[in-house]
Amino acid sequence: MRAEAVREAVWVPPRPRVRVPGWVWAVPVYGFLLLFVVYPLVRLLGEAVTDDAGRVTGEFLAQFATDPFYRKALANSLWVAGGTTVGCVVLGLVAAFLLVRYDFPGRELWSYLTVLPIVMPPLVGIMGLVFVLGRAGTVNVLLMDLFGLARPVNFLYGWHGVLLAMVLHYFPLVTLNVVDALTKVDASLEEAAEAMGSRGLRRVWDITLPLLTPGLVSGATLVFILSFADFATPLVVGMQDLLAAQAYLNIVQFVDRRLFRMGLVVGALMSVMAIGFLVVARRAVAMREYAVVSYRAVERQPLRGWWRFVAPAFFACALGLAFLPHLGLLLAAFGKAWSLTPFPTRFTLEHFDQVLHLTPTYVVNSLRWGAVAVALILVLGVSIGWMLARTSLPGRGLVDSLVTLVLALPGTAVGIAYLRAFHTPLLGITLTRSWFVMPLVLAVRRMPYTVRATFASLLTVHRATEEAAASVGASPLRIFRDISLPLIWRGVVAGALFSLLFALQEAAATILLVLPGWETITVGIFTFYTSGTFGQAAALGVVLVVLSSATLYAIYRVTGARLGGLFGSGGG
Amino acid sequence: MRVRLEGVVKRYGATVALAGVSLEIREGELFTLLGPSGCGKTTTLRILAGFVEPDEGEVYFDDVSVRGVPPAERGVGIVFQNYALWPHMTVFDNVAYGLRLRKLPPAEVRRRVRDALEQVGLVGMEDRTPGQLSGGQQQRVAVARALVLNPRLLLLDEPLSNLDAKVRARLRSEIRKLQQDLGITTVYVTHDQEEAMVLSDRIAVMRDGRVTQVGSPADLYERPADLFVADFVGTNNLLPGTVAHVQDGWAELQTPAGPMRGRAAGPLQPGQDAVLTVRPEAVQISDGGAGGVSVPGKVALAQYLGSLLRYEVEVGGGRVLLVDVSNPKGTPSYRPGQPVRVTFDPSAALVFPEDGRA
Repeated sequence: MRAEAVREAVWVPPRPRVRVPGWVWAVPVYGFLLLFVVYPLVRLLGEAVTDDAGRVTGEFLAQFATDPFYRKALANSLWVAGGTTVGCVVLGLVAAFLLVRYDFPGRELWSYLTVLPIVMPPLVGIMGLVFVLGRAGTVNVLLMDLFGLARPVNFLYGWHGVLLAMVLHYFPLVTLNVVDALTKVDASLEEAAEAMGSRGLRRVWDITLPLLTPGLVSGATLVFILSFADFATPLVVGMQDLLAAQAYLNIVQFVDRRLFRMGLVVGALMSVMAIGFLVVARRAVAMREYAVVSYRAVERQPLRGWWRFVAPAFFACALGLAFLPHLGLLLAAFGKAWSLTPFPTRFTLEHFDQVLHLTPTYVVNSLRWGAVAVALILVLGVSIGWMLARTSLPGRGLVDSLVTLVLALPGTAVGIAYLRAFHTPLLGITLTRSWFVMPLVLAVRRMPYTVRATFASLLTVHRATEEAAASVGASPLRIFRDISLPLIWRGVVAGALFSLLFALQEAAATILLVLPGWETITVGIFTFYTSGTFGQAAALGVVLVVLSSATLYAIYRVTGARLGGLFGSGGG
Repeated sequence: MRVRLEGVVKRYGATVALAGVSLEIREGELFTLLGPSGCGKTTTLRILAGFVEPDEGEVYFDDVSVRGVPPAERGVGIVFQNYALWPHMTVFDNVAYGLRLRKLPPAEVRRRVRDALEQVGLVGMEDRTPGQLSGGQQQRVAVARALVLNPRLLLLDEPLSNLDAKVRARLRSEIRKLQQDLGITTVYVTHDQEEAMVLSDRIAVMRDGRVTQVGSPADLYERPADLFVADFVGTNNLLPGTVAHVQDGWAELQTPAGPMRGRAAGPLQPGQDAVLTVRPEAVQISDGGAGGVSVPGKVALAQYLGSLLRYEVEVGGGRVLLVDVSNPKGTPSYRPGQPVRVTFDPSAALVFPEDGRA
């Protein structure tokens, strides 16, 4: 016992320091959100109901409502988004159930592979599919050669092609969310149902699915909103009568002022609808939030008999289809003057020489904007995540809603909103004419992933862990550096990498805001492809897929493959 | 150090966590805040620590108000309920953190950490991380971390609630001995009345944001201030009835089990609803009637606990009376179903006005 030693030691007061009130930190964050989220959005919504002279009018809304073309576009958009969501939910649920509940040959491998489609954005995916399944693609050329078909089969041109490309890209979002929810379902809940005679699908329907609802709904909402807002993918297969495509086409033409105004109206309506979808989804989730106290995982069952082969076959088919565009992409990227043959007859590095060496602008810009955006995201996203998890500052709830809103706002609408809000000087800077608008819009759009990751990681760190440091004299910044950050950095880095991944793939807001010299990879793909320079579009596509894969690999290394929960649009 | 709380009020929105708490904690004593969850004991502790500022009232450390003084400058050491050890730091780093923040020379840091670890018997564990320690060891690290800065006041927030029964009993006495060795003023929060009784110099029983009674363990047990304390501290028999007669500090009660008598422990009027309490060890069980209060009953259960034999006896009105027989020898003398009489001395019984909640 050394009681004397401790008793005689002197109480050492902590070192004096200047205390900054909490709201001082919050002001820049609030300011940023007001200026770069609220203001452009309000501006866009306002433009939909004012005419060129600034008078409030319902004329444009009425015009939208009475024009059969726009009504058709709205129906098509809902149809594509709804179809994509249903497809993703079915594929995602089956994949998640198989991966979590059953054991079969290659399960581990499939569980890694199932996330991979994320590396191929739909814009690149549909392009890759066109090379394989398009009018002059591999399959049609083979069919015409072998069976003497007079006309190519239409695999892609129309909503079915758009659906295919989107489902194949987005279903992992549902899988990840459901896997996350499914692993947290307590085995005893299902056992209790089983003991009462509820079996098989009945039990899944009565017990398991309701427990999965929050995860499922947040994944599905995200898929719905993303596919609703995508204009580049449909345009690749010539589908123009969709809301997002109309918004884009009306805005980029500068001939007809009325059409331009209608572009604004469509953009505003899409925002309002996205917000509506989000609210509905949140309601649905809020009614079904169940607290998990503690759980014992359901034991994985080996699949027996021929079922052993059905599961791998399912993954092989789904992922095989998902990898089909990669094949097309590679053929087109390396093929030389490929036309009218099933496969290129000669191969070349010419296209890569073009996009990587002769005009590396696209790749360089993507990396540059990505880096600046991630820096912004880290500063803002971590601050906001910390604020939401750890403070009771006024306006917290509003900030939380804004962050979720940003996730839901269609990229097209954000692009249009920025074009309108920042084309006049602001503190002497016309933002739309400064390159900074590119990383800025990327940062705003992709910040929610980092906010969410920071928030979720902080929730796992008990408050007392930080209070203990405060009680021995650490300042708030010091606590964050010494205690919180070492415990959450993996989550934060994973969130930031997701932000980077989706910033690289961004192909809506940036396409609208881009000025010559600022082009990104996706802008390059879009313009090359729509102007018929397929080889270079494909080469850029390959570069994007490689960059995305590298980012995803980094995420795996950082998180130790515990994904999920990052993609939700509800909860938080 | 002496601590004084004066009329401390804390509200969270519409909920009142503390509705005017006044307490005096004496130099060097182990003072326990005891109460069920939601009674305000943890809020009180957090106010002492400085994590929460009271809405009204003052807190004085040695007669100096600590309003606005941040936790680190109050000279308090805190042991958290879940220990709050930093999982990414070793035992040594956990304990040394506060010393390093104060930029003490490394040799001094090492010496003081070693002293603190020696005190809690963890020398040799310096390089482990919290994840490699048992619950009891983690708890000791938390104590060492709280003591290493030599605080003037030690705050313990349910420090034993996450441990199993055996470890809990051992650490309980260790904490008490350590506290007495150091002579450090200590505030201990718990919902476990047995723990409070064993450890404390004095206990404040709290309920609904108020202090209902402050006193030594014996005070609370023998002279509970109200029905709540009588029920919450120790095991007790509660027999509700109607007051028949009050005279000279004695009250006669009509209960479904029969007429009873005890000392009046509050203002009582004939006709009023009241509750008679009598400790199980003050009740006797027998075949025939004897003096004092005596009612018939039927043995429902006999529990043999080694040093104690506890009968549950059904009396009139569906009430069950606990009767403790100490140092029983061999098998119980009364079997379930057997009719008996239960008897107690009226001076061992207290009659409280019914407060509508117990």
